[in-house]
Amino acid sequence: MEKNEFITLIMPFKDKLYRLAKRILISKDEAEDAVQEVFLKLWNGKQNIENYKNPEAFAITMTKNYCLDRLKSKQASNLKIVHNNYQTSENIEKKIEANDGVEIVFKIMETLPEQQRIVLQLRDVEQFEFSEIAQMLDSNETAIRVALSRARKTVRDAMIKNYNYGVS
Amino acid sequence: MESVKIKQLLEAYFEGTTTLAEEKLLQDYFNNKRVADDLTQYQPIFAGLKAAKSERSTRTFALPESKPRSNKAWWYSIAAMLVVAFGVGSFYLSQPNYSQEEKEALAAFEKSKQAMMLLSENLNKGTEQLTLVGQFGKTKNKIFE
Repeated sequence: MEKNEFITLIMPFKDKLYRLAKRILISKDEAEDAVQEVFLKLWNGKQNIENYKNPEAFAITMTKNYCLDRLKSKQASNLKIVHNNYQTSENIEKKIEANDGVEIVFKIMETLPEQQRIVLQLRDVEQFEFSEIAQMLDSNETAIRVALSRARKTVRDAMIKNYNYGVS
Repeated sequence: MESVKIKQLLEAYFEGTTTLAEEKLLQDYFNNKRVADDLTQYQPIFAGLKAAKSERSTRTFALPESKPRSNKAWWYSIAAMLVVAFGVGSFYLSQPNYSQEEKEALAAFEKSKQAMMLLSENLNKGTEQLTLVGQFGKTKNKIFE
């Protein structure tokens, strides 16, 4: 496969890969590094991607796996805790004031378990069908629906709590 | 009227049983329409999801130049071939290189050398015999004196 051909195949979902990576890794820089890494992996295995029926699903699965691996090694070295403490300490309150509900939703999403975060991202942000998500995550539709329902409810409950604080 | 339908959709939404089309309706309602007062608490969720979709990375993702790697290997093989060729070539060049005429001359020289050796050997045999003859003469002189 030629480079141009590869780019026209991959570039259309570059942003989706980035958003998924950012949803999992939270940090913008790390998400960008992850996408770059996934691109290299895809490029090196470009003979394989041609054989896949759905290159987009393949790339998303790869991104998810890579980011989860990154997260694991990060947790092992305790970096995540430091990072999270820093994020929440001073930035959050300013942002909430500046951009009412939206930032709160982002923050709530960050607190979800990874699997729910990924499902919420793929369904409610990228609008994939359940069958597609099941394929990407190597899971089944029922499990996806359950995870999604939990994620949505968690976001709702946290939002309502926050909303009531604001009102009263 | 609309808010009733939206409430039903919301319920299904939180159970994870809405279709993509229904979720699109919800998105549209909360982001583009006048939201009923008792539903405003849900608005940030859909605004947030919409905002999440507009996130973009400004970084340009570079692909490795695939050619340099193979090019390098190519150059390595060329260099290796040159080294081998040079080695073999210099080995051949270091060997004496005679033309056809010189080879013939050399062969002729070897042959004549052999012939000379044969001649000198036989000559030596002859002189040995001659000393015998000389001895014979001496003995004869002793006897006949």
